Amino acid sequence: MNTLRTISVAEFIKLVNETLRLIPSQEFVVEGEISDFRIAQDKWISFDLKDENGEAVLKCFMTTWQLRVQIEDGMRVQVRGTPKVYERYGQFKMNVQEVEPVGEGALKRAYELLKKKLEQEGLFDVSRKRSLPRFPKRIGLITSRDAAAYGDFLQILNNRWGGVSVFHLNVHVQGREAVSDLLGAFEYFNELSDTERPDVLVLTRGGGGLEDLHAFNDESVARAVFGSKIPVVCGVGHERDESLCDFVADVRASTPSNAAERVVPNREEVRYEIEMMCQHSEERLLNQLSQKSLIVERATNVIGRIISQQNERLKHLRQRFFDVTHVWAPALFDQIDGFEKILRQLDPKRVLARGYGIVTINGQVLKDVSSLEIGASVGVQLAKGSFESYVTKKENN
Amino acid sequence: MSQKKKTIDFASSFEELEKITQWFDSEENVDVEVGLKKFERGLELASELKKKLSEVENKVEEIKKKFT
Repeated sequence: MNTLRTISVAEFIKLVNETLRLIPSQEFVVEGEISDFRIAQDKWISFDLKDENGEAVLKCFMTTWQLRVQIEDGMRVQVRGTPKVYERYGQFKMNVQEVEPVGEGALKRAYELLKKKLEQEGLFDVSRKRSLPRFPKRIGLITSRDAAAYGDFLQILNNRWGGVSVFHLNVHVQGREAVSDLLGAFEYFNELSDTERPDVLVLTRGGGGLEDLHAFNDESVARAVFGSKIPVVCGVGHERDESLCDFVADVRASTPSNAAERVVPNREEVRYEIEMMCQHSEERLLNQLSQKSLIVERATNVIGRIISQQNERLKHLRQRFFDVTHVWAPALFDQIDGFEKILRQLDPKRVLARGYGIVTINGQVLKDVSSLEIGASVGVQLAKGSFESYVTKKENN
Repeated sequence: MSQKKKTIDFASSFEELEKITQWFDSEENVDVEVGLKKFERGLELASELKKKLSEVENKVEEIKKKFT
């Protein structure tokens, strides 16, 4: 034995690990079923990868940051990584860099798990969904130029509304580049200045299986939608398709065409609405006008009634006046006759008729001779005619 | 990425028209003088808005940006 070289355990393990590195690990993926899946301290993930018959076991190790999908026991996955013997425990393990669920069943399960996780975190909360501006001026469109979704969206948009600026960012919606394209697109639009930023972002693509939709079900993309400062409308595929981005988006459209319907109003509907508003205002105004004229009409009626009432009263009074005339009128006439007689007896002309005369001086009736001077001119009025004479002699008695 | 002035007007004009309609509804007794003025403004807005509605074109701008 002494002829052989002696090395330490550490040296030996190092040698093994050097040899393991010669394996072209990047050229293949190892496929198997997960068992004994554990997470320690929210950081370290360990699980066993087994073949279907369960005889071969590969211990796997990775961190939570490396795991982009949700996995659990019994799930079929493909792992990529490098083999290593850990000195401390003398354990052979696969240092996993990437895990991909395999087959529709595993993908669906991974999808469900991630969906549940994001839902519990509150990414789907209805309360945080923002409403879209009714008349957007600028729309950021994130989709592939080659996809039918692109044409569908624009066609419906043009059918419904005009005068909008669409800023299209051409991205891969599936394949290896899809996730980084989508993340880049959200970053680009969100970093624009306030004046350049679109009013709404539309994330859309055609339908497909879980594998096609993987980028729309990616956790980091879902979080980018969640974190967008600009409201997001997500429309994927056919009506029955769903993606995690759908749930996180502010508005979930069923298809690319529906996304256009959700983003802009229909011009005919708006035209109708404008007409209705005008009509409504007009009705209100006319209503008020007719109410006002009704008030005037009512006032006129009241005044008319007062006038006719007064008229009635006057008529009535006049009637009453004439009705009683026969009672007092004869007495009045008798009285008047009496007065007339008296007045007639007092009439100076009647005195003159009896042969008296009225002497006046300067228009004044003369009753006393004392102020009369000899030679003065006086007027004498007789019953018939008058004459002027001079005073020749006077006697005071 | 030029700002589109006419579409800004659409949203604000529409809002103004809505406010006028609301005013007619919320006033218990509409002052006829004010009402006539507002109604006139409403008609003016409506005709501007309808003119804009006949605008059919949307502009598509491709953003040249590569992420991968």
